[in-house]
Amino acid sequence: MNTDDLITRLAKDVPPVRRGATVMRLALGILLGALVSATVVVLALGIRPDLGLAMRGTAFWIKWGYTFSLALAAIVMTVQLARPDSARLRWTWLLAVPVVLLTGLGVAELARTPPALWLAMWLGHSWMICPWLVLALAMPIFVGLLWSFRRLAPTRLRAAGAAAGLAAGAFAATVYCIHCPEVSAIFVLTWYSLGILLAASIGALLGPRLLRW
Amino acid sequence: MRANEEALRGLMIDGLAGDAASHAALLRLLVPLLRGFFRRRANGSDDDIEDLVQETLIAVHTRRATYDRERAFTAWLFAIARYKMVDHFRRTCRLQPIEGLEESLFAEDFEDATTARLDIEDLLSTLPPKQARAIRATRIEGLSVAEAAKAGGIGESDLKVSVHRGLKMLIARIQGGAR
Repeated sequence: MNTDDLITRLAKDVPPVRRGATVMRLALGILLGALVSATVVVLALGIRPDLGLAMRGTAFWIKWGYTFSLALAAIVMTVQLARPDSARLRWTWLLAVPVVLLTGLGVAELARTPPALWLAMWLGHSWMICPWLVLALAMPIFVGLLWSFRRLAPTRLRAAGAAAGLAAGAFAATVYCIHCPEVSAIFVLTWYSLGILLAASIGALLGPRLLRW
Repeated sequence: MRANEEALRGLMIDGLAGDAASHAALLRLLVPLLRGFFRRRANGSDDDIEDLVQETLIAVHTRRATYDRERAFTAWLFAIARYKMVDHFRRTCRLQPIEGLEESLFAEDFEDATTARLDIEDLLSTLPPKQARAIRATRIEGLSVAEAAKAGGIGESDLKVSVHRGLKMLIARIQGGAR
């Protein structure tokens, strides 16, 4: 086709674009995915029976605060990488903030606990399945993000895939909090983070294939 | 309309507000810019270059929501163009990068030169037309004083004074802008 004709044809369809359209689209993809993940948690895993009680304590909110702030930092990365001019990433240090804070809490927790109980505290009751459940719950959210990316323009596909995987993993962990009864900071720091990192790695692996446009 | 950053960005923002005429004008202004961009970086027939131009125009159109109104338009545009070019190299062997893929990924020369040219055009447009013409002829097009004077239909000393005054004014403007 002639370039002039192409331009004429393209210019026939110029809907207004709202400010923040990129962010809205990513948020929508995450929300839709998170709804699926939450449904799976409620129907298949079950809400922890003492959720109401746990929400009055600090351990629940520390855990939730860790995963949610990590998710927000991952979103900040994803939004930048969804745009073509993403050569210089800003705010990457935000990702380190929740990790450093939770590590501090974990060390304080260890200092308060007799060393004989450290291993039990670290492994909890569910260390073997926790990372895998987080990873599995991340999949619907990752798919939601892939849908968002269909209209976006990433140019660093591996990094964009990793950021999307990280965001999916961190939101999945946030959803998983309503099921998981574990309370210790070092448990969350190790096994939750492992699940989130697995999701990010898979994102980095699949990014170049799935995010091409 | 001249294709400088300011003008392109203005058209893009109007287009994002739903103004189809501005959007069409923007796409038309991008065609020569993109042809230059790809010709400098890729070996291929005119058809291949034109394919790339069209792919980029389509991408600019369909992905226009990813433009951040607060940021430079040309940076956004050339990032898309570069991505489309590398993708094209990967898919087809008909089009070959001129200096190897790595370099074309990172070489910013044309982009910088284009942005610089746009900046110069911006600055020159703030000068009286006579001085701007004199500077453009002697300093950008590379004519000699005699040739430029003849082309402009003015005396050689008149031309030299115009160049001198124009450059002085530009320097003052740049320093003023930096402060």
